[in-house]
Amino acid sequence: MNFANLGTATLETLGMTLISTALAYLVGIPLGICLNITSKNGLHPQKVVNLIIGVIVNLLRSVPCMLLIILLLPITRGIVGRGTGDWYTMLIPLFVASFPFVARMVEQSLAEVPSGEVEAIRSMGASNGQIIRKVLIAEAKPSLISGTAVSAISILGYTSFAYDFAAGGLISSAYSFYNNHTGNYLTYPNVWVIILIVVVIVQLLQEIGLYIARKTDKRRVIA
Amino acid sequence: MAFLSTEHLSKNFGNTVVLDDVSLAIEKGDIFGILGLSGAGKSTLVRCINGLEKPSSGQVVYQNQIISSNSVVPESETRKKIAMIFQGFGLLDQRSAIENVHLAFELIKEDKVPLKERRAYRAKLHDKDRSQSLELLKKVGLEDKAKAYPAELSGGQKQRVAIARALALKPEILLCDEATSALDVQTTEEILNLIKDLNKELGLTVIIISHQMSVLEDVCNKVAILDRSKIVEQGLLSDVFLNPQTPIAKRLIYTGHVATKLDDDHYIRLLFNGDVDSPLISNIVEDCGILVSIYFADTKVIEGKVYGQMIIKLPYYQKDIAKLEKYLTLKQVEFKEVGKDELR
Repeated sequence: MNFANLGTATLETLGMTLISTALAYLVGIPLGICLNITSKNGLHPQKVVNLIIGVIVNLLRSVPCMLLIILLLPITRGIVGRGTGDWYTMLIPLFVASFPFVARMVEQSLAEVPSGEVEAIRSMGASNGQIIRKVLIAEAKPSLISGTAVSAISILGYTSFAYDFAAGGLISSAYSFYNNHTGNYLTYPNVWVIILIVVVIVQLLQEIGLYIARKTDKRRVIA
Repeated sequence: MAFLSTEHLSKNFGNTVVLDDVSLAIEKGDIFGILGLSGAGKSTLVRCINGLEKPSSGQVVYQNQIISSNSVVPESETRKKIAMIFQGFGLLDQRSAIENVHLAFELIKEDKVPLKERRAYRAKLHDKDRSQSLELLKKVGLEDKAKAYPAELSGGQKQRVAIARALALKPEILLCDEATSALDVQTTEEILNLIKDLNKELGLTVIIISHQMSVLEDVCNKVAILDRSKIVEQGLLSDVFLNPQTPIAKRLIYTGHVATKLDDDHYIRLLFNGDVDSPLISNIVEDCGILVSIYFADTKVIEGKVYGQMIIKLPYYQKDIAKLEKYLTLKQVEFKEVGKDELR
């Protein structure tokens, strides 16, 4: 592996992480909202619906990521044309592995909105739709944003599995390099550079997420 | 027919009865106080009125229409007529004061607005200056804090924003659920005065629930006393407060008076170093004719002698205090005046 490939690997990792995160949020947000409002103390308690979504989410969360990728191979093949061998073949498995987690994160963020706020707006005659948009999501925004950073970082961790499916990315590169230089791989700078890039990406995700969350949050007094 | 009434309203959570056959009649323009200890069911009662809670039986009748019962949930339009403010204010933390008020306009569904008024409604909703909301903030005396976020406002200011927001929907009734309980004495008075003004100016009917007599006695014209889920007394403020009939009413009303006078008391710390051997407190009462009560005591009897300290309380009358101090000096009891800040 040479340094020219590093750029490609970085882009592959970023592509897998960011696109899967986006897809996971596309499904995770509505699911999280459903989980929140159908819960016992939610806006619209629906025991059965809550139970069904809860069970699906929990089941998917309890299947190890690797197993999920294998199970999804036919579906991936059906949708993107091939099951393995390129970075985008990881998008669907990573998405399926992470949206249940995201749904729980969103549910949790919404649950942190003080019930007094919801109640006050409800007493003003707001519909459930209005409460979801104007109270739950709007008030949970900082928490949803910092949650997105946490999710993206854990999805980045899932991209390790790309190695087993020849799907590329930084972590696969490190593994390949180790395979080729088993005895003395740590004496080459390559592995260290990869570690550095991964650490920088994680830190950036974390810091950018926190920064935006802090910027949007009006709860602290700006002295 | 009363403007707003509850008829045989009952509510239970599982086996716990929270409201038991509560019937109240409130007339237009009343400031109606509901007094009760915590857990008496006051909050549940007002929450049943605007449908935040569903009554188990009985009904709420507003302008001759059943608006809330076991089978009727108040329409969104009815809820807009019955505004509510809370102990916790219920402001959205991520919106500035003026945007919190503006929220009220955002909640109006456009298809519910009569065709003729729709243009005006849209103008109001998309008005960049938020002039309508600013007008309301002015009414509650907070226009200079329009851009501030709740985190930057004091409790009293937050409650003012909440009131402005409640007024935005042009309510006919304002429910106050312990709305001043989180505020200090002076702020409470300011908020109550504001409510009184709104009642006069807009003809707003107000229902105030509180566990503090002092909150109700200044503003209400009628009161009801709720004790363990039941209304035990109801009527004109003067009738109920001047002549309480039930033990609970007496307790609530008289403790209230004691509490308001507390600030006028004088505290003296007595120090016992084993020299005092007469029954000092009863001697003070007998010899000086001053009624003192023991506020705090930490004394030990060692070999028949008293050591330690005691704080006694007496009404703040300069004459009595001077008399007592002279008496204590005479009896060679060491004493010290206790500062207010030491007591909290």
